[in-house]
Order: sequence, then structure tokens, then C-alpha cells
Amino acid sequence: MSTTAKAARPRTRRPRPRALVPAVPALLLVLLALTGPLLAAHPVDRPVTAPYGEAGTGGAPLGGDQLGRDVLSRLLHGGSALIGSALAVAAVVTFLATLLGCFAVLGPRLGRLVERAADTAILLPSVLGIMLLALAWPGGGRLAVSAAAVVLGTPYAVRIVAGAAAPLAATGFVEAATASGERLAHLALREILPNLRATVLALFGLRFVDAVYVIAMAGFLQLGPRPPEADWALMIRENGPGILLNPWAVLAPGLAIGLLAVGVNLAANALAPATVRRAALR
Amino acid sequence: MTGSGALEDTTRSVPEPAVRRAVGLAARLAAVLAKRVALLVVLLAVVFAAIELLPGDAASATSERGEGAAGVAARRRLLGLDRPVWERFRDWLTALPTGDLGTSARGERVSDLLSAPLPNTLLLGSTAFVLTVLAALALGTWAAARPKGVVDRVVDLTSTAAFALPEFVVAVGLLLVLSLWTGWLPAATVTGADGTPAGWHMLVMPVLALTVPQTGWNTRIVRGALADQAATPHVAAARLDGLPTRQVLLRHALPGAWPAIATGVATSTGMLLGGTVVVETLFNYPGIGTVLAGAVADRDTPVIAAVVACSAALITVVLLLADLIRARTLGVRA
Repeated sequence: MSTTAKAARPRTRRPRPRALVPAVPALLLVLLALTGPLLAAHPVDRPVTAPYGEAGTGGAPLGGDQLGRDVLSRLLHGGSALIGSALAVAAVVTFLATLLGCFAVLGPRLGRLVERAADTAILLPSVLGIMLLALAWPGGGRLAVSAAAVVLGTPYAVRIVAGAAAPLAATGFVEAATASGERLAHLALREILPNLRATVLALFGLRFVDAVYVIAMAGFLQLGPRPPEADWALMIRENGPGILLNPWAVLAPGLAIGLLAVGVNLAANALAPATVRRAALR
Repeated sequence: MTGSGALEDTTRSVPEPAVRRAVGLAARLAAVLAKRVALLVVLLAVVFAAIELLPGDAASATSERGEGAAGVAARRRLLGLDRPVWERFRDWLTALPTGDLGTSARGERVSDLLSAPLPNTLLLGSTAFVLTVLAALALGTWAAARPKGVVDRVVDLTSTAAFALPEFVVAVGLLLVLSLWTGWLPAATVTGADGTPAGWHMLVMPVLALTVPQTGWNTRIVRGALADQAATPHVAAARLDGLPTRQVLLRHALPGAWPAIATGVATSTGMLLGGTVVVETLFNYPGIGTVLAGAVADRDTPVIAAVVACSAALITVVLLLADLIRARTLGVRA
């Protein structure tokens, strides 16, 4: 969310109100998901209608799930944790990547290590990575999945920051600072970092998109949140067998995840500078 | 075409540059191959170590209810879990090239365990891969033919949207449309007596669910690579010469775009393989997804390590092919 608010700051580029339009649907959806629990009519864990009850019965506008719980209420509850953990993952990955990326361009040894790490990470599909970590940490739930998303996402993110920072490391003001004997930390944090604002904000948006994808997939594979919880991805998995009886129990959370993923991606894409978008595609 | 440069060289009847170039290419490829294999070994070591660091092991995870500590210890010895981890990793790694993937926690040979589902998964993944590449090339060049036109904008928007969609969300949409509302396709995969899907129509929905997000990703890469090429002098010159757009795109822009496209497509191999695991679960497709889910529950290190090794090896091969394409294109140009 903060990307949308900050990325258009005049310092990073000319303010263009039209560029903010693609961010509106994502912003509305995130707001709705975060305030959802306040709007829900029923508790998430109490049956109000028959299992897979049809839409409209028992005061459940979207019908019941496999235990007859209100689909709409569960839907309204299910988004905040997903979005919350995705935001947290995106923030941590962006922070780590920014720090490592700044140091990587100044120290060739760290830079090579980062390259190798990214090359290795590409060999491990994220689903397998999540499974490994869920295995390593049986009771970890959402936290384990978030940790996996951080570990799997950081190598690429560092590469993007390093790519954007490399030209800066060769500029006159950094060389002047190096010549005047500044320490590495000062060079990275005071000379290079302030010039990476646009990249870092764009990176945050892209990592948010990726985190939504990874965390939703883990929820679907039943590796993250545990059953009584109302998680959109988990709802799809749980209600899959009853798709014939009450399609809404699957369709509604599916639509919610789809809209969130697409909305956030379109917003991040519209706000990201072209160079970062290019780098992210590599 | 890039071929014209090579053709001129050979007709000049001086073999040295061609030979030197071939040797240079071979050396470069050998170096790349060595690097890729080293990365593969590093990944496998990391995975092995990661599973080792976890609390609990395969012996206790597969223990029967009421089994005593002595029984678990005996099986731990039987599975070789009492030996140091690096020793087991070395043995496992050296047996790998012979096709021996180790023994699962339940005492079955991992290669037997994977021999039936792996081909099914590869069929699913490779069909989706081919479809993705074809669709992405078609959509990307179509959009690039008229930059900033209606088609370009629509393709840009839909491909951006599609690539953010998780596979299982696409699958749910397909299920509703193709199975529930129209009744054209069965909702779950029916398996024949030999353990393979009963018919090609069982593949339609899983393949589509995999193809849609990856096509979104690759279309953007094709489009971006063609845009980069459009800015180069030789493509601009071809356009100024008044050549038809189609010819400029296919003959002049596309050859230079291959390295970028190859790298992008290679990246999507991993995402496709990961997606298969998810999609198989939803459609009850008889692939490695099912085996993997069971192995995670059993803490079955050899099975998971074998699946990681197989997929990582496959991705390594695709990345090598991408390296080859890059080396060829750049080698001819140099």
C-alpha cells in the first residue's frame, strides 16, 4: 500500500495522477480485506446452515462451506492474514535485498556470492522450497511459510538492487567519497542508498506480488494456516470436493485471490520505473 | 539473419577464424557446464543439510503407534541415519549418476517410487511448456508489430494480469467454466489401468492452468526483447528500407532477441514444475505431486531429495540450452 502512496513522489519522477489509476482497485481490495473482519455477520467457526448449503439459506448470502459455516463471513475474515504476511515478507525481503545489494556492488566478493546464490536458488522451484521448510518446522504454520518466502525471494531481489546500484558505484561522488577514505557502511548507506529510492519502492511492490503468490500457494497445499482458520487459499482446498453443491465456497475465495494478485501486480507494474521492471523480468 | 555473417567467413576459405571460433565456443560451453553442475551439487548439499537440521527424522516419522524407542533406533540404523550426514550425502551423490536415487524411509527404492508418476508429470509439464512458448512467441510478436496499438495494450495488460495469477486460481476458474457450467470435461483425472491418465482430454485443464500464468510471463519477455531489438540500428535501418513489418520482426528483430527469450523461458521451467505439483493436487492427477505430499508427511529425505534433484537437473539442462543459444547468437556476432 505504501508503494502507491510514495512511489509517485516528485523526487523520484514527475507526478502523474493518471499513473496512480491502476493502483486504485488494489488499494480498495486491500482496504476491504483488512477491514473485512469488522463487516462479517457471523463468526468464522460456527455452522449457520447445512454443509455446502446453497446461497441465501440460513442468512448466508454465499451459502455454507463443508461444515455449513458462512462463506461470506469467512471470506471477509480470510484476507487480512494473507495480506499481512505478504506485506511483512515483502518488507523484510526488500530491506535485506537493499542492504545486501548496496554492499554487493562495493565488495566484489560479496557480489559474486550473491550472483551464485541467485543462480542456485533458480534451481529450486518455490513449491519445493516451501515444502522443505514446512518439513523443517512442522508447527511453524504461517511463520514457516513467511520464512520460506523470504529465503526464496531474497536472492533475486538482491540482484535487482545490485543491478540498479552498479552504475552508481562508478559515479564521481561515490569515487570521491571512496578516495576521501569513507568506510564501506558509509558508502553503502549514505552515498548509494539515497539514490535507489525508486528501485527500492518498485522492488517492494514486485516482492508483494510474489509473496501473495507464494503464501497463497502454501495455504492451498495446507502447509501454512491450520484448518479452523479462514484463509482464502485454504478455503479453496477445503471446499474443492463440494464445488458441485455450492460453487461459491470455492469461487468466492478464488476470485478474491485472483483479484488481489492481479490488482497488486497491475499497480506495482504501473508504478515501477521501466528499468526495474526490465530487471525483474530477467 | 545472423547466418549471413558466418556464411561470408567460410566462403573466404580461411579456416582459422571458424576453427578458433568453434574451439572458443566449446571452451565457453565447457566452463558453463562445469559451473551449472557445481551449482546443482551445491543446491543438493544445501537441501540435504537443511533436512538434516530439522528436528525428528524419517525413522521416527514413519514409526508405528506404540513402537518402542529400541525399534526406532533399529530402523534408524537400518536406514543408515546414524552415520554422519556428509558421508551419506557423498554416497547418495556418487550413486546418483547410475540412476540410484536411494531408499525411502519405508524401505522402497526411490527410483521405483518415482518411475510411474514422473513420466506423467513430465508429460503435463512439457505439454504446458511447448504451448507456453508457442503462445508467448505468437502474442509477443503480434503485440510488437504495432507498438502502442490496441493489440499491444491489450496483450500487455492481460499478460501482466495473467502472470500474477496462482495456478490453482486459474484451475478453479477452468473447473467452473469447462466442467460445471458446460460439462465438457470431467472435474478429476480418471486413471487407466497402467497408472496414466485415461485420455488426452484429462490433460486439457491441468495444462491450461499451467499455461496461462507462464504465457503471461513469457509474453512480456518476448515483447520486451523485441522492443529492445527495435531500438538497434540494424532493425531501424531495415524499417527505413521499407521492408514489411512482418519481415523486419521475424528476420531482423527476432534473431537478436533469442538470448533474452531463451533466458526467460528457462526461468519459467522451474515455475512450471512447481505449478505442476499444485495443479496435480487439484485435479487428482497421478504425478509426483502426490508422492511429494506423502513424503513431506513422512519426513522422507531421500524421496524429497530425489524430487529436488530431478527437477533441479531438468532446470539445469534447460538453462544450459539457454546458455547455448546465448553463446551461439553472441558468438556469431562477435
